[in-house]
Amino acid sequence: MNNTVVQILLIVLAPVLGGLIYGLERKVKARMQRRIGPPLLQPFYDFLKFADKRKMIVHSTHAFLGIVHFISLWFAVAVLIMGGDFILIIFLHLLSTAVIILAGFSTRSIFSHLGANRSAISILAYEPVLVLIAISAYMLTGSFDVSALYASEMPVLFKMPLAFIALLLILPVKLKKSPFDVGDAHQEVVGGVELEYSGIFYEAVYTAKWLDYIFCYLLVFLFGGANIWLGLLLVALTFIYINALDNSTARVNYKQMLRFCLWVALPIAFVNLILTMFNVL
Amino acid sequence: MPSIIVSLFVLPVIVSLLLLFLPKAVARVVTILATLVLSGISLYLYYYAGDQPIQFSVPAVVDKVVLIADFALLAYILAQGFLQRNVWVGVLAVLQAIILGYLTMYMPHGEYMQFYVDSLSLFMFILVNVVSGVIAIYSLRYIDEEKCSNFRKKYFLSTIFWFIAAMNLLSAADNLEYFYLFFKLTTIASYLFIRFRLDKESKKNALTALSMNQVGGLAILGAIAYTIFTPGYGVPTISSLLSQVPTVGVIMPFAFLAIAGLVKGAQYPFSKWLIGAMVAPTPVSALLHSSTMVKIAPFIILRISPAIQGTPVATVIICLTAFVFIAAAIGALAQDTFKKILAHSTIALLALMILMSAVGTPVAVTAALMLIFFHGLSKSMLFLNAGVMEHVFHMKQTSSMTKLGELGPYTSLIVAVGFMSLLLPPFGAFIGKWFSIETLGTVGGAVTNPVYKLIGALVLVLIACGGAVLSLLYFKVLGSMISRTGEKDKVKFEKLHPLYQGTMNFLLFSVLLCTVALPWLIPGYFAPVAADVINSGVAVGIEGFTMNIDNVKLPLIPMVAALILLPLGIIVAMFVRFKNVDRAKEYACGEKVEYNFASFYFSTEKATPYFVYAGAIFFVGILLAGYLM
Repeated sequence: MNNTVVQILLIVLAPVLGGLIYGLERKVKARMQRRIGPPLLQPFYDFLKFADKRKMIVHSTHAFLGIVHFISLWFAVAVLIMGGDFILIIFLHLLSTAVIILAGFSTRSIFSHLGANRSAISILAYEPVLVLIAISAYMLTGSFDVSALYASEMPVLFKMPLAFIALLLILPVKLKKSPFDVGDAHQEVVGGVELEYSGIFYEAVYTAKWLDYIFCYLLVFLFGGANIWLGLLLVALTFIYINALDNSTARVNYKQMLRFCLWVALPIAFVNLILTMFNVL
Repeated sequence: MPSIIVSLFVLPVIVSLLLLFLPKAVARVVTILATLVLSGISLYLYYYAGDQPIQFSVPAVVDKVVLIADFALLAYILAQGFLQRNVWVGVLAVLQAIILGYLTMYMPHGEYMQFYVDSLSLFMFILVNVVSGVIAIYSLRYIDEEKCSNFRKKYFLSTIFWFIAAMNLLSAADNLEYFYLFFKLTTIASYLFIRFRLDKESKKNALTALSMNQVGGLAILGAIAYTIFTPGYGVPTISSLLSQVPTVGVIMPFAFLAIAGLVKGAQYPFSKWLIGAMVAPTPVSALLHSSTMVKIAPFIILRISPAIQGTPVATVIICLTAFVFIAAAIGALAQDTFKKILAHSTIALLALMILMSAVGTPVAVTAALMLIFFHGLSKSMLFLNAGVMEHVFHMKQTSSMTKLGELGPYTSLIVAVGFMSLLLPPFGAFIGKWFSIETLGTVGGAVTNPVYKLIGALVLVLIACGGAVLSLLYFKVLGSMISRTGEKDKVKFEKLHPLYQGTMNFLLFSVLLCTVALPWLIPGYFAPVAADVINSGVAVGIEGFTMNIDNVKLPLIPMVAALILLPLGIIVAMFVRFKNVDRAKEYACGEKVEYNFASFYFSTEKATPYFVYAGAIFFVGILLAGYLM
């Protein structure tokens, strides 16, 4: 019972938590660059400011799809928190990505199109790895439900360390962090799909990015199993890793990203799958 | 009951003959009525046929008719090969004639039934009659716009109906000799369809289709020969073969039948005929890709799946189709013609259906059936749409479709829903794919043989990657045809001809309705058919908000939410209008640019020739595996 309350609270607060993570990230990144950085609540101040701006859209379909994107991503996060089917969660996340890609294509903006194309390519980079991790998790727990991972007594990390490494390799693609931030590379495609959103209509896409943080770090948290502290430690380490990586690397182009994910991350996930299948670890 | 089933064979033939003579207005009424009646009969049969398979024989004289028809068709093919100077077609026809003539001398006669209608056949009846009927109605208008003589227009419509008859017969045939004839009939129907436009390319592709599909015919003859000459098998009917498998243990006939199926299903290296088939008028592609021709492949594999499950033959088929799934998806990335892209994705999804049929566990078979059904609906919708694009908007290449979102918002909406329905939750095809991944994981985890475990893992990787490539493909295509500028904020659907609009609306609503009805369709429709296919029960139960199908769980709440988000969300997005909001131009760095950006192009031509070779190796592998067993 208690558990359910926590889950529902987490789901309701997911965007706020994501905002906090984003604020913290800006702070940490600034400190890594020896800057002071914005206050922790800066994302929320930005949020309030966007609401006050003049309302401008390209056309209504485009603006509305942004909102659908936010809701569907929130929903995917909710199913993940409630411990639903792993494969289904991956595809619900794909659904939300599909909606934002459609939105990107629905305008006649060059940068928006380029960004949408690149987002579609990044699906090819990370989705197979995630599916393989989900299947490995099934081999480990005998259930496709994420709740089986939450309940796993033996931390998942020790059972499938290679899956964790593969996840670490594709997380920058999902979070659009350097070196794999081709999707919304500001210097190249001016933010990609989110470019044509502004003011109050940008809020949906902006907060959806916060939800993506929650989604990705929850995937990391899964590797702690039933041990919450280990999970949180993993999340903290991953957080530092992602930001250090983002600060210290330059962007590669989309072909290099694809090649890296399919030739490095995917084989690692595959080896992990085989090891789990044969019960080696 | 048998008489009603026979009406499914006879009625389309009568309609087909009538359509040759009737004037246009009457032909329209007849086509629509025939579709309604045929769909009605197939639905009626499904509900009232009962659990027991219906077996019936036909008078002995029909045997002779079948034999004569067999030779007549072979003579026709030989004549075509001779007239058009195609050696392969001729050689294959002669070869078949010789083998058939030899086999006839030894063929046991009498003692057995020629037709066997179980729920899989009834399942096929519904798909064939309803979807093909809708396509026939659509072609009434489409063929009117075609540049050809009045007689050829009638001839086109008439061919559709005898094709339907051939498909109905094929789904019901039990005797392999009859099966061979109907198989051949569908081959010839597709040959006539593909060369309908009578230009050089059509004729060439039609001959390719004819020669490739004859390999399938040859394989069926091989199956008959093995059945007759192997002691213990006796009569060459599918049902007796299936009932004797455990005792005799020779699976060579099934390997032959599987090859016949895979050829029809255009798996590598036989993919060329299906891709070449798009030179024909679009309703033909719709017919071949959705409800008829290619669905013979999963149908045959489903039929024989209890016999081959767990054997090396099934393993080779699984490897082949897993490979084809990703190879065809990669091949599609390089294409620009809309119909070619659809053709490649058909091959990929067919591979998935065949794979699931060959796996043969309860969930796998259910997933295969769901894929067959929903793929039929979505693909016919997409192909009919491609026809509208060609005839109304004059667009064939995806790169030229950048204005479609403004000129034809309805058409672009249908494409969007069509593609998404093959890919994303909550649609039936997605659920089929999802079950496929989970059941493959389950099977891979359960086998003990390390080699099988490795194969299972590899197949899973191929499926995961292939799925991702397909989603990339669909987004790439969709992206070029949905963009609009801010000036056209108010979406006004274009007016199409009522026959176009009607058939497309029907298919769109069927996809949506069947998606909503899935919680009832799975226990009431797919699971019973699957249970009949594998000869054991498929446990379906509902616990709270979860539906359990054997060991796979289908949570209903996420599905409902996904339903609200995706199809409804996108449809609402077309109509929603934000008031009191300023409209802005797109951002272009202050430059004044012409908008001429479409999509990434991928060149995969370097790899594709090797796919054919790899496919050929697998085909040899199937025969070897069957022989060595």
